[in-house]
Amino acid sequence: MTRSGTTFATFARRNSMLIILIALYILVAFTARGFMSIDNQLNILRTIAVPGMIAFGMTLLIIVGEIDLSVGSMVAASACVLAWLVSAISGGAFEPGVWHVVAAGVLTLAFGASIGIFNGWLRNRFMVPTFISSLAMMATLAGLANLITDGTPIESFPSWYYFIGSGRIFHVPFPVYLLLIAFIATHVLANYTSFGRSVYAIGGNAEAARLSGLHVNRTRTWCLAITSLFAVVGGIVYSSLLNSGNPTIAKGMELEVISAVIIGGVSLFGGKGSIWGAFVGVLFLGVLLNAMTLWGFNPYAQQVVRGVLILGAVFINLIIDRPKASHG
Amino acid sequence: MAIALELRHLTKHYGSVKALNDFSHSFAKGQVHALLGKNGSGKSTFIKMLAGAVQPTSGEILVNGRTCNFAHPSDALKAGIVTVYQELSLVPHLSVAENIYLGRLPRHANTPFIDWPGLLRQAKALLDEMGAGDIDPAQPVSGLSIGRQQLVEIVKAMSLNPSILQLDEPTSALAQAEVQQLFSLVRRLRDRGVTIIYISHRLAELGEIADTVTALKDGHFTGSCPMADATPAVILEMMFGDITPVTRPPRPVAAGEPILSIRNLSVEPMLKNVSFDLHKGEVLGIAGMLGSGRTELLRAIYGAGPVDGGDILVDGKRIDNVSIPTMKRLGIGYTSEDRKESGLVQILSIHANLCLAAMQRFSHRGFVTEQRERSAVERQIQDLSIKIGSPALPVSSLSGGNQQKVVVGNWLNNTPRILLFDEPGRGVDVQAKQQIYQIIWSKALEGLSSIVVSTELEDLVECCDRILILRDGLITEEFVNDGLDPKTLYAACMARQTNP
Repeated sequence: MTRSGTTFATFARRNSMLIILIALYILVAFTARGFMSIDNQLNILRTIAVPGMIAFGMTLLIIVGEIDLSVGSMVAASACVLAWLVSAISGGAFEPGVWHVVAAGVLTLAFGASIGIFNGWLRNRFMVPTFISSLAMMATLAGLANLITDGTPIESFPSWYYFIGSGRIFHVPFPVYLLLIAFIATHVLANYTSFGRSVYAIGGNAEAARLSGLHVNRTRTWCLAITSLFAVVGGIVYSSLLNSGNPTIAKGMELEVISAVIIGGVSLFGGKGSIWGAFVGVLFLGVLLNAMTLWGFNPYAQQVVRGVLILGAVFINLIIDRPKASHG
Repeated sequence: MAIALELRHLTKHYGSVKALNDFSHSFAKGQVHALLGKNGSGKSTFIKMLAGAVQPTSGEILVNGRTCNFAHPSDALKAGIVTVYQELSLVPHLSVAENIYLGRLPRHANTPFIDWPGLLRQAKALLDEMGAGDIDPAQPVSGLSIGRQQLVEIVKAMSLNPSILQLDEPTSALAQAEVQQLFSLVRRLRDRGVTIIYISHRLAELGEIADTVTALKDGHFTGSCPMADATPAVILEMMFGDITPVTRPPRPVAAGEPILSIRNLSVEPMLKNVSFDLHKGEVLGIAGMLGSGRTELLRAIYGAGPVDGGDILVDGKRIDNVSIPTMKRLGIGYTSEDRKESGLVQILSIHANLCLAAMQRFSHRGFVTEQRERSAVERQIQDLSIKIGSPALPVSSLSGGNQQKVVVGNWLNNTPRILLFDEPGRGVDVQAKQQIYQIIWSKALEGLSSIVVSTELEDLVECCDRILILRDGLITEEFVNDGLDPKTLYAACMARQTNP
């Protein structure tokens, strides 16, 4: 992230969270039993895979100056919609065909994207703040998940379906690959495309961006759709892990995702932040939660720590006025 | 006659810039004193010092014979000086009464509860007293016209019982009828012994309202006289002094088919029936005072603001869908008058800001790298002599002049055919301003057509081939710039149409 020739001090300022993450990692390595085992390391990565990739979408969204509070509900709703669609398309077969699942998956992705586009339309056409529309969507989608499942999980998936959530390639869980692909894709999008440049410009000053001829409305809508799509992918992973469409999953995940993004140094005022920073934030949260479990922390205390963490991260961001990580 | 306000050697320096220099003068009590000066003359600095918002570097302010030190705006209020700024400070959704007594709402005795009936009674009495009894104190301010809001603002100021009232361009946003109502209020206050410092760019209305005229020029006091003696010639002399006409290199007069034609353009309620042509390689100036609709005109042409009627033709072809993407595709660019609010993305780097408008040009199938943009960025930095450490620094680290060059460079990177400049010289030091006009001039020689809109008439005379006067929503006059005297322009801008 730094150019050659920058001093360590500048590096430290720009990557304060990375240094804190490394320090935490070393601390945990020496104090928590079993932390360093390969299985535990992979477990951390698998745990953060879903909130992580949603966080990458959320990073773009917050940089462009919007937010989506409905991602947790979207994970649950898309898992249920998918399970329901598989069941409907295959006619309730015990072992639905591959194409039944693929068709249901495509439809679920389209469903997710359309919710994002709808929020974008409300934002652009009627100036409804996404904070409000996504709050409404959070309740709506949670309700929808319960409605179509009638409160009980739908188990409609074929036997191979477990692989998406629990399968391993070279001993590494499949969702971890999804996380890495999502990271690379969003990182390239943010730094090496005119779309990504527009995201920063619009979040920094929407009027200046508009007068420079950038497509403000379109870019905002895309960011909303991308975030929704990542949430749908998260829903697919969770439905595979549980082998069902379960309306109770991912409760409160929006909080986890948004905290990771804030910890990663993305400004809630828009225009500032990076995918890399969000990745560091996601890793930090993952390592800390894993460590607290290994240390034997009370799970309720863990929630308190999370809350304190968000405040702490915001303060660190304000105090260390880091210059925006340069493009590329 | 009693002296309400006396200034002794009042001076304000901003670093090496002398905004106001050794201003000594006395203002008589119970009169309307017009204060004149072009932009940068020190007027605003003076008002702010009297309002306590800015502290003098040296010199004294005496109010009713007592020396005053205003460390804070509340000190000025205590001394009896209230200022009504050009930008209104009313809270739109609160009622007229609440706005008047904001922060001083009456309470029921010995309780923390607001006495609503009392508030309305008090406000009603005050409005009646000011001759604005037709304004309902219970009505939200947002439902009033701008002129009415201006009156409420003055009534609010009067609720503080000032002995000196400063009015900063109170009529700039008002229609004729509203101006008359404002004037009758001002006269009423004067007759009650309030001393009024009245700032206006509309010379024609001064005869109606002012008792004396005082002028500043480049931070210096240039004279004061009773209104009866202030002929337009005298006023212009005080404001401009002697001007040496600008000698400009001879250049071919732009001719041939117009590249851009505006026909009967109207934007309610500002512009009605504006028509003009722009030729290739021409620098066209549009002179208009605040509230003349100059910004609305440029934004309408660029597709960035509303249009209520009329046609825009590019290369003789009528444009049906006037929107920013369409106009940009046709090679038109627009630099806004407000760098901070709508010109630049302050938190992004200089590099990023130079590549906003040309983003599509620099990208290849949507992909773009700094490498690909670098040569264009460096060319602009060199061509426009933008003084910077590194293009990676945030644009907010630059001075106003250099920021303005970045705004221009951003558009030049998109190789436009027509550029619309809205106040390119605002908030920019003299040298940088000159450089920016040089740039416009030299690009014109390469074939770029420009429209420059400005209140600074000398600047227009310096860089434009032809100058149009925009007044009362119409193009009222046209001057071919051939050794033009800015005073002529000023007189043309200021003249007000006779009341119907």
